[in-house]
Amino acid sequence: MSEMTASIFVIVPCYNEATVIRTTVGRLLGRGYQVVVVDDASSDNTKDLLSGLAVYYIRHEVNLGQGAALQTGIEFALQAGAARLVTFDADGQHDVDDITLMMELLDKEKAGVVFGSRFLAGATANVSLSRKIVLRSARLVNYFASGILLTDANNGLRVMTRDAALKMRITENRSTHSAQIQNMVRENKISYAECPVNISYTDYSRSKGLKNIASIRILYEMILFKIFR
Amino acid sequence: MSPIQIILISGVVFITLYLYLRLRSNLIDAMLIFLFFGGAIFFILFPDATTSIAQRLGVKRGVNLVFYVTILFLFFLILKLYSRIRKLEKKFTEIVRDKGIEKAEFLEKKQ
Repeated sequence: MSEMTASIFVIVPCYNEATVIRTTVGRLLGRGYQVVVVDDASSDNTKDLLSGLAVYYIRHEVNLGQGAALQTGIEFALQAGAARLVTFDADGQHDVDDITLMMELLDKEKAGVVFGSRFLAGATANVSLSRKIVLRSARLVNYFASGILLTDANNGLRVMTRDAALKMRITENRSTHSAQIQNMVRENKISYAECPVNISYTDYSRSKGLKNIASIRILYEMILFKIFR
Repeated sequence: MSPIQIILISGVVFITLYLYLRLRSNLIDAMLIFLFFGGAIFFILFPDATTSIAQRLGVKRGVNLVFYVTILFLFFLILKLYSRIRKLEKKFTEIVRDKGIEKAEFLEKKQ
């Protein structure tokens, strides 16, 4: 297992996640993955908290947004020889075991990308009703922007092959990146699959995550993305 | 001359001088600036002239025509500026990213 996982790079973009970053990264290291933490100019002591851990640490000197941090991590992982890449939220909402399941699905379906979904049968996620409504609508907006209809368009857990990652080039620095990733999957005809994943919302991840109201801003950015890309 | 004409003319003179001082190296730019200057002064002094143009275009008053044209022009400017900002942001992102990757560290101490 460890030989296999040694070429799997997990990219963890983070911005002021000092409370949970060590736990999240520790779980990933426990499975033998290569971990790339992309610190998007946090003002807390994220780096100190990671000291001594076997992780790659990259810091943006200026806050650019999650999309930009992911792209930085992807480029670094590719340079470091990653065979497979995983994107993983820093706030601890994802389940490390899901990565294994997604890898299996990637092999089985011979897919380029596997998207995590909290809405497929088999996933457990204590999503609140208001959140559900927002995510369900976001899915349609993402479809409009990317041409791919996923059951959960805004899930931070994704697995991809090196070939697929080489075709990715995220230029949407902020939250529109998930639509852009899907758009690139469609344009490059990368085959994809969805895998049910568990999301554990905690008070922490709720307070750190995007507020429902932010979806209005994202909608605006999506429209600009359609016009200007 | 009414007070508003004096205010507008001094505004136009100020903008023209500013532009001229910054761009004087280019002859075509200078000509465009003076064309703008002349046109603006003319319409400020003879506002009724806009009305006859407006009526030919189906707009009642010259002021309304100026208003419509200005909105279009400003909207165009916003789009231009926005795409400029996006380009700059792209460049900026690349610089921050490259520097970040260059300085990437492996945090575990090698024994």
